[in-house]
Amino acid sequence: MQQRGLGIVLATVILAALVPAREIRAASHQSESHPQAQESGRSQVHLPIADFSLTDQTGRPFRFQELRGKVVLVTFIYTTCSDVCPLLTSRMVLVQRDLKGTERSSVYLLGITTDPEIDRPQILKSYAGRYGVDFSNWSFLTGSPGELAPVWKSFRVQVQRKARGLVNHTPLTALLDKAGIMRFAYFGTSPDHRSMLRDLRSLLPSS
Amino acid sequence: MLVLRIFALAALLSLQFACSRNQEMKTLYAERCLACHGASGRGDGPIASSLPVPVPDFRLTVERKSVRAIRKVIVDGKGIMPAYGPALSRLEVQDMIRAVRVVSEEGRPVEWWEKIGPLLYAHCSLPWQFGDDEEEPQRGAGP
Repeated sequence: MQQRGLGIVLATVILAALVPAREIRAASHQSESHPQAQESGRSQVHLPIADFSLTDQTGRPFRFQELRGKVVLVTFIYTTCSDVCPLLTSRMVLVQRDLKGTERSSVYLLGITTDPEIDRPQILKSYAGRYGVDFSNWSFLTGSPGELAPVWKSFRVQVQRKARGLVNHTPLTALLDKAGIMRFAYFGTSPDHRSMLRDLRSLLPSS
Repeated sequence: MLVLRIFALAALLSLQFACSRNQEMKTLYAERCLACHGASGRGDGPIASSLPVPVPDFRLTVERKSVRAIRKVIVDGKGIMPAYGPALSRLEVQDMIRAVRVVSEEGRPVEWWEKIGPLLYAHCSLPWQFGDDEEEPQRGAGP
C-alpha cells in the first residue's frame, strides 16, 4: 500500500514538471505577434507644442519652456516596455553619442514616459543608467496621469494601458526647433539616427 | 499512512496549481520576453537584430544561473533589458523564471532532474537557494 502511495506521489511530481514544460514550448512557437523592427516614417511638420511642467529623473520639477533656444529631440517610452522602447531609446543614445562638443550645449534630449503608474523618477533614472545616458543634456520625465495626458495630446501621442507595466503607445520621436515647434516627426520603432542628426543640425543656429 | 496521503494530496494540489499557471507563463513570455529573446529563447526575437547589443541565448545563460540570479535579472533588469520588478507580482516573476527555464531546455539534452527543477525552484521558495550569481557583461540584454 505504501509503495502504491509513493508511486502516486512520484507520478504526480513528474507530471507536474513535464506537462507545463511541453505546453510552454508549444505556445512559445506560436506567439509571433510582436511587430518586426520597422523603418521609421519621417515627416516634416509644423506643430507648436504647448508648455508643460513635469518631474525629471531626479524628482525635480522640469519646465519645458526652459528649453527655449535649444533644439529638442523628444521620444515617448516606458521602462517596462519590451519591444518598441528599447529601440527608440537606443537610437536616442546614438544621437547623443554623435553630437559634437559644440552642439551639446544647443541640443537637449527628452524621454517622456507613457506609463506614470510604474515610471517614478528613480525608476527612470535606473532605466537611463542601464543605457549609459549622459544626463548633462538628457532628461527623463514623468508626472501624474493628469499632468502627462495633455503632453501626450500636444504631441499627438496615443497611450492605451493594457495591463500593469504594459502600454500601447504611438512610437513617436519628435524634433523641435528652438521655439518649441515640432518640425520633424519620426514614427516607427527604428528611426535612423543619422537622419535625425542631419535634421537636428539643420535647426541649429550655424546651419 | 495518513502522512503519505496528505503528501499525495499536497502533490496533486501542486500539480493543479502549476497547471493553472501555464497560461500566465505563456502570456508573460509572449508579452515580455519574446520580442528580444525569440520563441525558442535563442536571442533571435523579431527586434533582436535591431538592438545595439546581442541578446543572449537562454540555453547558454539561463541553464547556468541559479534561480536567484535569474530572478535578479528579471526584477532589476540588466543592460537594456527592462526591470520588471515594479510591474510584476511575485507570482508573475516566478512564472517568468519558470518560463525561461523551460525555454532554455529547448534543443539541448535535458536530464530528468532538470525537468522537475523548473516546477520546484520556481514555485517553492527554498531556503537553501543562495546565490551563485555569476556576472555577465553589464550591457548584455536579458538573463
